[in-house]
Amino acid sequence: MNNNDVQIDISNVSKSYPMGTFMVDALKEVSLEISRGEFLVVLGPSGSGKTTLLNLIGGIDSATSGRITVGPTEITSLDERGLTRYRRDNVGFIFQFFNLIPTLTAGENVELAAELVDKPRDTMEVLRDVGLGDRAGHFPSELSGGEQQRVAIARALAKDPPILLCDEPTGDLDFETGKHIFSVMRNINRESKKTVIIVTHNTAIGEIADKIIRLRSGQIVEMKDNPSPIDPDELRW
Amino acid sequence: MKTLRKKLVRDLLSSKWLFIAVTIVIFLGVALFGSSFMAYLNLQSSYDYSYQQLGFADFTVKVNSSPLSTVAELEQIPGVKSVTGRMNTDIGVSLPQKNGQSLIATAISVPGNSRPQVNDLKVEEGSYLSPGEKYGLLLEKSFAEYHDLKPGDSILLDGTEGELEFTTSGIVTSPEYIFPAKNKNEFFVSPDTWGVIFISDAALLELTGNDNINEFCVLVDEGADVDSVIGLSEGVLAPFDIIDVVTSDEQPSNAGLKLDLQEFGEMAEIFPVLFLFVGAMTTFILLSRIIQRQRGQLGLMRALGYSRRQMLWHYLGFALVIGIIGSLAGIIAGYLLSESITDLYIGMLGLPYKITNFHWMAMEEGVFIGILPCLIAGIFPALAASRLRPAEAMRTPPPTAGREPLIEKILPFLKRVSLLWKIPLRNIFRNRRRSISTVLGVVFGVVLILASAGFLDSIDSLFSVQFDRIQRYDARLSFAQPVPQDMADEILDWNGVNETTPILEIPVSLENGDKSFQTLMLGMPPETDLYGLYTPGGNPVALKEGHILLAEAIRNNLDVKTGDSITVISSYNKTVFTVGGFVKQPMGSFGYITLEDAQQLAGAQAIISGILLSADSSTIAGLRNTASQNLDAVSVEITSEVESQMMDLMDLVNTMMWVMLGFGVILALMVVFTMITVSLIERRREIATMRTLGERSGRIAAMVTIENMALGIVGLILGIPLGYTVAMYLMQLVQTDMFSFDLVFYTRTYLLTAGIMILVILISELPGILGLRHLDLAKVTKEQVS
Repeated sequence: MNNNDVQIDISNVSKSYPMGTFMVDALKEVSLEISRGEFLVVLGPSGSGKTTLLNLIGGIDSATSGRITVGPTEITSLDERGLTRYRRDNVGFIFQFFNLIPTLTAGENVELAAELVDKPRDTMEVLRDVGLGDRAGHFPSELSGGEQQRVAIARALAKDPPILLCDEPTGDLDFETGKHIFSVMRNINRESKKTVIIVTHNTAIGEIADKIIRLRSGQIVEMKDNPSPIDPDELRW
Repeated sequence: MKTLRKKLVRDLLSSKWLFIAVTIVIFLGVALFGSSFMAYLNLQSSYDYSYQQLGFADFTVKVNSSPLSTVAELEQIPGVKSVTGRMNTDIGVSLPQKNGQSLIATAISVPGNSRPQVNDLKVEEGSYLSPGEKYGLLLEKSFAEYHDLKPGDSILLDGTEGELEFTTSGIVTSPEYIFPAKNKNEFFVSPDTWGVIFISDAALLELTGNDNINEFCVLVDEGADVDSVIGLSEGVLAPFDIIDVVTSDEQPSNAGLKLDLQEFGEMAEIFPVLFLFVGAMTTFILLSRIIQRQRGQLGLMRALGYSRRQMLWHYLGFALVIGIIGSLAGIIAGYLLSESITDLYIGMLGLPYKITNFHWMAMEEGVFIGILPCLIAGIFPALAASRLRPAEAMRTPPPTAGREPLIEKILPFLKRVSLLWKIPLRNIFRNRRRSISTVLGVVFGVVLILASAGFLDSIDSLFSVQFDRIQRYDARLSFAQPVPQDMADEILDWNGVNETTPILEIPVSLENGDKSFQTLMLGMPPETDLYGLYTPGGNPVALKEGHILLAEAIRNNLDVKTGDSITVISSYNKTVFTVGGFVKQPMGSFGYITLEDAQQLAGAQAIISGILLSADSSTIAGLRNTASQNLDAVSVEITSEVESQMMDLMDLVNTMMWVMLGFGVILALMVVFTMITVSLIERRREIATMRTLGERSGRIAAMVTIENMALGIVGLILGIPLGYTVAMYLMQLVQTDMFSFDLVFYTRTYLLTAGIMILVILISELPGILGLRHLDLAKVTKEQVS
């Protein structure tokens, strides 16, 4: 992979934030390059800084020091308005607890994101892509956990962003449903050439990635390419 | 942003009772404002129109006696539009329809063949005097209504040559007697003792034998300087012994109405301001709580790419919906209510003309003042929400630092109480903002209840002071002309009369340096039991020779203190008195001296103008008959009747205060309901956890009740002094020369307020507690902590 394929360039990034009366060093001098269309899994135990790293890439949190460049844009130098525009046009988020708006139906949750961009994908089409074409009118409370997470994926895809950021996307799901979700993501990655970054504490999931990064106490302790990722259906944990 | 709007609507619907409660508060505030302000504008228009239509005098000059030809001289003064010259005199009246009941009337002459150009009359029933109809008479409406007199009824008037029979031609309203006040010191006079009649100048000449006039009513040109016209008029009238010049502002009826209107206007501002302030506070707390609960959603929307501004408007939308719905509904209700209030008020006063307009400005103002506090209240939490960083919003906040509350350090035994008491106690100190919100809800409720209840108690107390402690007499006889003092002894001999007190009332001017005050001086024997005099502190005080006691309200007008010397000027005499002190006087502002001193002021004669008496109830019942059979030109005022008429007059104020009190209770209920419900929703997770551990619903309900009651008691403790202060402020606004209220709260009012608030708390927590019984424990225990 040559330098032109580098989509996300993270250079000496540190992040500290207050937690109650303490200051927590969530990330310490982290440097990393992520290529366009890569399927990356960030592994690490709870408190290792993986969610912080994802949040910084997604522009929903700001680094204490260091530089993050996404495509031609150095997002660490953007103001609030610039970050909003960056998130709107470049990033789709998928969270562990789905974060659906309970008062909106599945379709409306997707529309909530679609309305933000000029050329969104068709709501019904993305719902069909995740296998929920017939559930658009249902409220989150009427859907199973797996269905809710698929709505969250559809919501992330509705804006058609080049990057998908997934924070423990199967953490609240059973094994089978979790595998299904990873299949959906891998397909999106392959078919749409979107960069997918997944953070998880589950080491088994690293096997489906193109690249694996291990974090511990806010530092990268291992970074390796996976030349032969397995199919999500073959996952076992 | 169609979907955001959908979310807003669904969020509102999912907490509809909370939003309805806060919207009701705004609705009440705007409805109160709209109804009182529009009624105020209607009344003002009605007064102005009535005055304009009937040519209400810009000023009236009272002289001793003048020929009618002086009118033409006054009309020559630049700036004078028109002048009506007339005779105004007190005259004895007898009503054959009421067994010859006698009373004293103010008889005013009107032209026999035309309408007066100034202070015209509006004929409400019957007709104006026909040209040449000498013995026709017009009755002022409130007087006619009280005695049920109709056109065609006969009335006997005392003349110098004996009684003359007149026939009622019409019932009229006069701009000078819209509120039938005899003068500024005798504002409320019973129609049993006094009324106003209008008769032709020829008839009044026959009754009095006097073809001169004693009053000039002047209307000035628009834009003319009234003061300079008055100055020029005084020059013309100086040879005729000017007694008084009364401008339209000082004219008793107009002054009373204006004062009433002014109070109405002030009330139109104060109560709504209280409601809207509470509405704003509730909106602020509700919105802050919603944002707290929706931190995760907020973070998500920001992560999706929604801008700060979009989030600001989204959350401001909650406040705007409350403001817009509350204001629009409130202003419509206010408009409808204003029509009823105007009708009620105009009907009660008997105003000649009613003008009700559609006040667009007031409507707009109402909507604006309803939305503005919501907007202000909403902007802070919405701004805070928009500034929240997405990652921070989605992060679970760290648990509140647990520490031993101060109260447990001060009262160590609290550490040993059971969990049933310890948990609610710790909860109070755990989330101070939540606790303060509930306490504030109770405080505002208490303030509104006490502010209204204070008026009701004070009015009740005013009656009790006036009619139980000051006016201890059962009846009062007033003579049209002074009578010898020994008349009091003669009346004491009447069957059933137990005690009499002779009195002498003299119109005087009190002067202290460059300050003066026109009032009535009441002279009476120091030892009388029938009239009580009390210091403002409530201690009895006695009259002394050479000393004058002044009503409390005069103290500031004259800027005097006890021991100062003031000059008392009557039409006979000018005497210096020492101020002996000040007395409590709820109605009117009189001066008091001994009967002997009063007789000196009246020209050193042993005369009296009236008699106070106490008598058996059967004697009182027949007193008017007895008086009319035995005495000339006397009016009889029965104390119990006056009290009952006064109470009727106060009915409107009382009703308004009861309505206000009701609004206060509703407001308290809405605020406390909002606070408690929000608090319970926020704690669903911990309550669900306790339930999961096996805690009984009843015991949890008890804990919630203990916590709310403790906060309610704190609210009561803070609300009572604040409510007292607000009531005191409101009371000061309605203090006048004519009415002097003392702020009184009966113990029962405090107890009732406490009872109402406890009930409000219990009712408010009921839906929340019932909701807790049906919690989905599995689901709720997973919810994010807030």
